[in-house]
Amino acid sequence: MIPNDGDELHALAGEYVLGVLEPEEARAIEAAFASNAALRRAVAFWEENLHPLSALAPQAEPPAKLWDGIAAQLDDVTPAKSRAPHWWNQPAPWRWTTGGFAAAAAALVLYIALAPASPRYVAILHAPHEDQASFVATVARGGLTVRAVAAASPPAEHAFELWAIAPGAARPQALGVIPANGVFRARGLPSALRDGATLAISVEPPGGSPTQQPTGPVVFVGAVEAL
Amino acid sequence: MDDPQATGLTSTGVLIEAVARGSRGALKRLYELESRRLYGVALRIVRRPETAADVLQEAFIQVWQNAKSFSAERGAGAAWLTGVVRFRALDAVRKLGREVLSDDPALGDEALEPGVIEQIDAKAEAGALKRCLALLDDRSRRCVVLAFVEGFSHAEIAERLAAPLGSVKSWVRRGLLALRSCLES
Repeated sequence: MIPNDGDELHALAGEYVLGVLEPEEARAIEAAFASNAALRRAVAFWEENLHPLSALAPQAEPPAKLWDGIAAQLDDVTPAKSRAPHWWNQPAPWRWTTGGFAAAAAALVLYIALAPASPRYVAILHAPHEDQASFVATVARGGLTVRAVAAASPPAEHAFELWAIAPGAARPQALGVIPANGVFRARGLPSALRDGATLAISVEPPGGSPTQQPTGPVVFVGAVEAL
Repeated sequence: MDDPQATGLTSTGVLIEAVARGSRGALKRLYELESRRLYGVALRIVRRPETAADVLQEAFIQVWQNAKSFSAERGAGAAWLTGVVRFRALDAVRKLGREVLSDDPALGDEALEPGVIEQIDAKAEAGALKRCLALLDDRSRRCVVLAFVEGFSHAEIAERLAAPLGSVKSWVRRGLLALRSCLES
């Protein structure tokens, strides 16, 4: 059992980071990560704060061929690709839809290009388990445009709302509702929209989320990358 | 797949995020910047160069696969990397056993002792930890340092300090709680 909060939680998280827990206790902690934000924060606290101690281990030169061995192994393992902040995996309201309209809507591609002096980004948004492009978005003269390139519409009596999540941010920034004609425009570059950010589209009531945070399922998601 | 832009990057956190997007160039850059430090961390725990090399290799493969789970919520990139390496090293030690320390200072092989906190670089980010460690009683401080740096289990610490296991467990716990209260004040 993972304690709820306070001293018990922090002592346990500290013991986990020190590495003194029994293997089964450590596994219980790891199993609870996904659903327990207080535990994740407590572990991060200890990782961060105890880290200077690691400097007591003298640096040493690893074997010369070690990198070659690592590089050779990369082909055999699943490469890191799409990144979704883990809080998206938490229960409602941030949950993936599994139903019909997600499959119909397939995937979004967002293409974001700024004026030459500005950063240029691209983002590809996929529905879970889909890779077909349904939208293209561009930024010109500092404005973001999202455009449908294939049929993608929200369920009846609902709207798609666009969100940007800055790298490491706890909460998404609302960018606005995508109009029924499938073309969304915004002036300027939202503060959360930068390299390493994530873009997402959720299903919301007409007019958008009443809470400034997503209330319905996230149906498309993708990483923003600098070109 | 190599990303030439990544070779100019120096921030560990930014590199890990680039690795999360599939950049091998960023992973290689991370290796160049961090492998000596991380190999040292692994070697201190496992004590055998060939095991430390295996640990470092496994750790970088794990970073390649799991970089997407890194986020600012997990803290700084360097601390996250150290965590990956330490846990790999602890796994190896629990599986393979460890070399017994010779305690011969000439071999650089003696376990760290309480005065060792003086060696912690007094950089800004280490200052708080150093100050707070100094406030702990000796036994708790030794427990925390032996566990984190040497990778000692409760039982190994108990043997080292010739103390009952139950006492060691409570010194570790008490040390952690005192540290937290100091670090957060």
